[in-house]
Amino acid sequence: MDGFKKNLIELFHIYKQYQPPQWALSDISLQVRNGDFYFITGPSGSGKTTLLKIIFREFPPSQGQIVIDGVNILKIPNHRIHELRRTMGIVFQDFRLLFHRTVFDNVAIPLQVLGEPRKEIRRRVFNTLRMVNLHQKMWDLPSRLSYGEQQRVAIARAIVNNPKILLADEPTGNLDPELAFEIITLFKEINKQGATVIIGSHDRELIRHFGDRILFLQKGKLIGKDAL
Amino acid sequence: MTIICLSFLIVGVFLSLSNNLQHMAKELSTNMVVTFFLDKAATAAEIKGIEQKVLGSPLVSGVKVVGAEEARDRFQKNFPDLKDILANLKINPFPPSLEARLKDTAPASREVAKLVQDVRQMKGVEDVQFNQDWVDKMQSLSRLAKAVGFFLGGILMLASFFIISNVIKLNVLDRKNEIEILRLVGATNIFIRIPFLFEGIALGVMGSTVSLAFLLLATKLFPVYIGSLGALQQLMNFRYLSLSQALGLIAAGGVIGCLGSLSSVSKFLKT
Repeated sequence: MDGFKKNLIELFHIYKQYQPPQWALSDISLQVRNGDFYFITGPSGSGKTTLLKIIFREFPPSQGQIVIDGVNILKIPNHRIHELRRTMGIVFQDFRLLFHRTVFDNVAIPLQVLGEPRKEIRRRVFNTLRMVNLHQKMWDLPSRLSYGEQQRVAIARAIVNNPKILLADEPTGNLDPELAFEIITLFKEINKQGATVIIGSHDRELIRHFGDRILFLQKGKLIGKDAL
Repeated sequence: MTIICLSFLIVGVFLSLSNNLQHMAKELSTNMVVTFFLDKAATAAEIKGIEQKVLGSPLVSGVKVVGAEEARDRFQKNFPDLKDILANLKINPFPPSLEARLKDTAPASREVAKLVQDVRQMKGVEDVQFNQDWVDKMQSLSRLAKAVGFFLGGILMLASFFIISNVIKLNVLDRKNEIEILRLVGATNIFIRIPFLFEGIALGVMGSTVSLAFLLLATKLFPVYIGSLGALQQLMNFRYLSLSQALGLIAAGGVIGCLGSLSSVSKFLKT
């Protein structure tokens, strides 16, 4: 079946340098196919976060080209970057929730940005929260939720817009192993529904259990694929 | 909000002060009259000549010849307590005079002084009553009020801009997380800016409006506080800002808030 999948994300000889002489990323080339579930792993400082940030164009690479869904994203002008980001969902280790707003409000943000009607927002936010099993805490403030629940809110916010690509940077870093398993299971379900998922993680146990496609980074270099 | 309000209050207080100063200067410099006392022996032709000379000046709006009898009547009317003294006098001590009313727009007092000098030398003129110093002082005061108004007003408005800009910057910093999230979920820069823009405008408008309300209260209460000023009451009649100044201040609040928020949010919207 894999042979029929088209490449969704393609990186060609990506380099990134924050401060000379060190390279945060060095000659990274890879293809991620539509519907893939990838883990990017490696020790702290190996370039996992940088690679994810380059994919959602938080900043451009120092060299190289990135093609997402057939579009060279480095050619997208700054004032149109939002169009690229609307096709992606992003989850962070620190959740990045608005703690003065309810769970519903947090999850609704991407839909409000799109200008969806209020009724549609209610429907989709409720369905998404039901998927992550938080629909009963819809009107709670995130501060009243556990870490695991807060991360599920962040995931709900990332997927409420049905993105093609879901990127997660250490999404289980703050969670105990049991909750971490729960979260990755959730990512797997989202992947089954069609989203391409890339997770940056250094949790070997998790990767061993869930990983079918794995990228190993060390000191900014891609040192291996698909084997732990 | 307090800081914004205070900065506009300072601007408002100054504007109001400037208004009052200018009003005082205007009150004192309008209705300015030069009185030429005439020789009792002056002939009708001489008086006519003096009148024509004075009327011929572009600085003068009107001339009135006051006879000795009229001068005495005026004195009796203005100072009724001194009526008896006049009654005891066998002669009328008041000389006839010619009162020249200066135009409101009478320019530099040098020209007025020249006119006074010219007329004083004419035959039939005995003396002149015209307080040159007062004219000079009032005109200087009026010019000073204007200059200080522009200078201090300008500086304070600039200070207000920076204060508002910094207040909004703090607000933006406080909501940095929110801006970051909005960027990541694909919000356009306009979408992110609009709430801050409204906030900036609202802050500026509210700050200036509240400061205007305080100023109104102050101008109403101040005369009550200092009590009656007697003859000075008319001069010191505390005036509020004109409608256009008040609206201008509110609009300036809105514009400053808008500009402040635009400059504050920009740096968080690189991409």
